Amino acid sequence: MADDGFLVIAVAIDENIDEVRVLAENITYPVLMDPGHILTELYAISNVPAVVWIDEDGRISRPNAYEFGSDLLSEFTGRTRSAHFDQIREWVHNGAVPEDASSQIADLSEDEVAARLHFRLAAHLRRNGDEVGAARHFDAAAQLAPLDFTVVRAAMPLQGESPFGEEFFKILAEYEAAGTPFHGIIPASEA
Amino acid sequence: MTTITILGDEVATATGEWADGRPLVEPDALSAAVGWTLKPEGLCRDDQCVLVGDGSAIRVGDKLDLAAVANAVDQPTVVDPDAGIVVLGQPNATRQAALRDRQAPDFTLADLDGTLHSLSDYTGKKRLLVAFSSW
Repeated sequence: MADDGFLVIAVAIDENIDEVRVLAENITYPVLMDPGHILTELYAISNVPAVVWIDEDGRISRPNAYEFGSDLLSEFTGRTRSAHFDQIREWVHNGAVPEDASSQIADLSEDEVAARLHFRLAAHLRRNGDEVGAARHFDAAAQLAPLDFTVVRAAMPLQGESPFGEEFFKILAEYEAAGTPFHGIIPASEA
Repeated sequence: MTTITILGDEVATATGEWADGRPLVEPDALSAAVGWTLKPEGLCRDDQCVLVGDGSAIRVGDKLDLAAVANAVDQPTVVDPDAGIVVLGQPNATRQAALRDRQAPDFTLADLDGTLHSLSDYTGKKRLLVAFSSW
């Protein structure tokens, strides 16, 4: 679809450039690094993957959706991407958007914003060798947004924990028990 | 006087001091620190000004509180006096314009080779913005 005035822009909410390079191998569209999680603050993204459709004029045609919009990460999911791809083709060629595109996404709470700032500070302190200061702000972030994966799960590898370990599954269970509080559309097949 | 680190879209520094946990700078250091300038009409940036009344919320003596200035223009902050850092968040209004008015916020980030890309570099194309991670 690259010839149709269409482009994928992938943003890694991540600071591990080596891991991202592996995921981005053979990908020809821009893959950007966002170690400070600027995007999660600007777009109220609370988990990945999150896909946003943006038109030629910079208007959001379909807000945050929990979709696998590219081949990135598809090996981890086993999820079919064909329905989403069909919808994207319809949008690119005919400007048609699915019904869920009119969904209103809830704004971040003050706590969720503050959690992002504490995370950014923690990651900065860690990069500068201040593990104690980093731990203090990772903890503050988790207190403020305990079910936000861009806060709690993203912190795991930065604190020497596995993002696929016991703690992740504990938080995932709490997230599901809370009704999957994702800031965005969860397509019916994924709900 | 000490160095205050401002962690915003980029990392900036300002010369100032910490007083009772508040990051203070001289008024003429404000613009370089947070992008806003204090003028008689208020806090100004580009062609936009925000009223600050008598300025008592942002002034401490002859200095300005960086965090209070940011909050006055609706940018959230977290301060850590021990680390000497002010974290400067994105304007809340930018995100609210995305959610309510569907205006996609612009951003500039580096690719894997360090080349900067902005969302607005690709105006005129339909864009699929995909946030992903290795975690």
